[in-house]
Amino acid sequence: MILLVILLMGLGSYGMRAIFILALADKTFPPLALRALEYVAPAVMAALVMTMLVDPGEGGAPSAAEIAGLVTAAGVALLTRNHIYVLVTAMGVYWGLGQLL
Amino acid sequence: MNNPPMTLSDYRRRGVLDALVLTLPAIPFALVFGLTVRESGLAAWLGWSTAPIMFSGAAQITLITLIGEGASLAAAATAALVVGARHLFYSFSMAPVMQQQPSWFRWCGPYMLIDQVFALCVDKRHLPAAEFRHYYLAAGATFWSFWMVFTALGLFVGPVIPQGLDISFATPVLFMGLLATAIDGWRKVVVAAVAMAVTLALLDLPSRSGLLLAVVVGIAVGLILEWRRPS
Repeated sequence: MILLVILLMGLGSYGMRAIFILALADKTFPPLALRALEYVAPAVMAALVMTMLVDPGEGGAPSAAEIAGLVTAAGVALLTRNHIYVLVTAMGVYWGLGQLL
Repeated sequence: MNNPPMTLSDYRRRGVLDALVLTLPAIPFALVFGLTVRESGLAAWLGWSTAPIMFSGAAQITLITLIGEGASLAAAATAALVVGARHLFYSFSMAPVMQQQPSWFRWCGPYMLIDQVFALCVDKRHLPAAEFRHYYLAAGATFWSFWMVFTALGLFVGPVIPQGLDISFATPVLFMGLLATAIDGWRKVVVAAVAMAVTLALLDLPSRSGLLLAVVVGIAVGLILEWRRPS
């Protein structure tokens, strides 16, 4: 029974990722949809970052060290476009401030 | 640019390397998933089978945790689907790029359209079709292999990452970096800020459904800004 549910979940998981890609494969996008598309990535990635930082029920906002780490990450990413530099500098700021505060 | 043009195999290598950086901070998450399976009382193989079948970390953890806590299967499945519903946005966002791709890739590609693959590839959507596809597949396959191996490891070793070393913050850090490079124009800055604020405000809605609303509000704000001051 549980295996059946897992298989259905797999179908659902794939379905949610595939639905628009397959359904709109040969459709022309109306101008409004194309403009909305531009904002999907920034909106969903920003929401995802926030979801990763705060747990439901805690009611808190991100800590100062976390905010500083994120600002560093954004800045270094814009300057260098290098994931390793982003990782090292932002984690450094986060850990460093964590020790100080 | 004096550099020689990148070949397809260069794009594959780049895809593997970019994905590897993103796998590092996901190691604790993968191990925690293994622990979740053990604590749920499900057979290890059954719990782990969600990794290849669903390939969706947060949705897998939700499903297994709720089943372990004795929730009804329908309730667990519904919650996991809501957690995974953000993938609808990825599918929509990728639809125009995928129009340039062969049909087999439109069918296979979505299987690996996870957070990390989306975040990496959305920035590559202006590449020629073949280059995009090779990058996407390399990044996706790298993350897939990682997830299969480390969720299985988690079944046996449990969380071995020392508590003091808080590496999990590296995931939002890398996504923040990818978000920053995906932003061109002040409207997208506003959209991202609004989406973050709404996510925070709606944090206590069940199954992360606040995230979905935040994305919709963010997109709406972007469209309104454009409509008020077209450029």
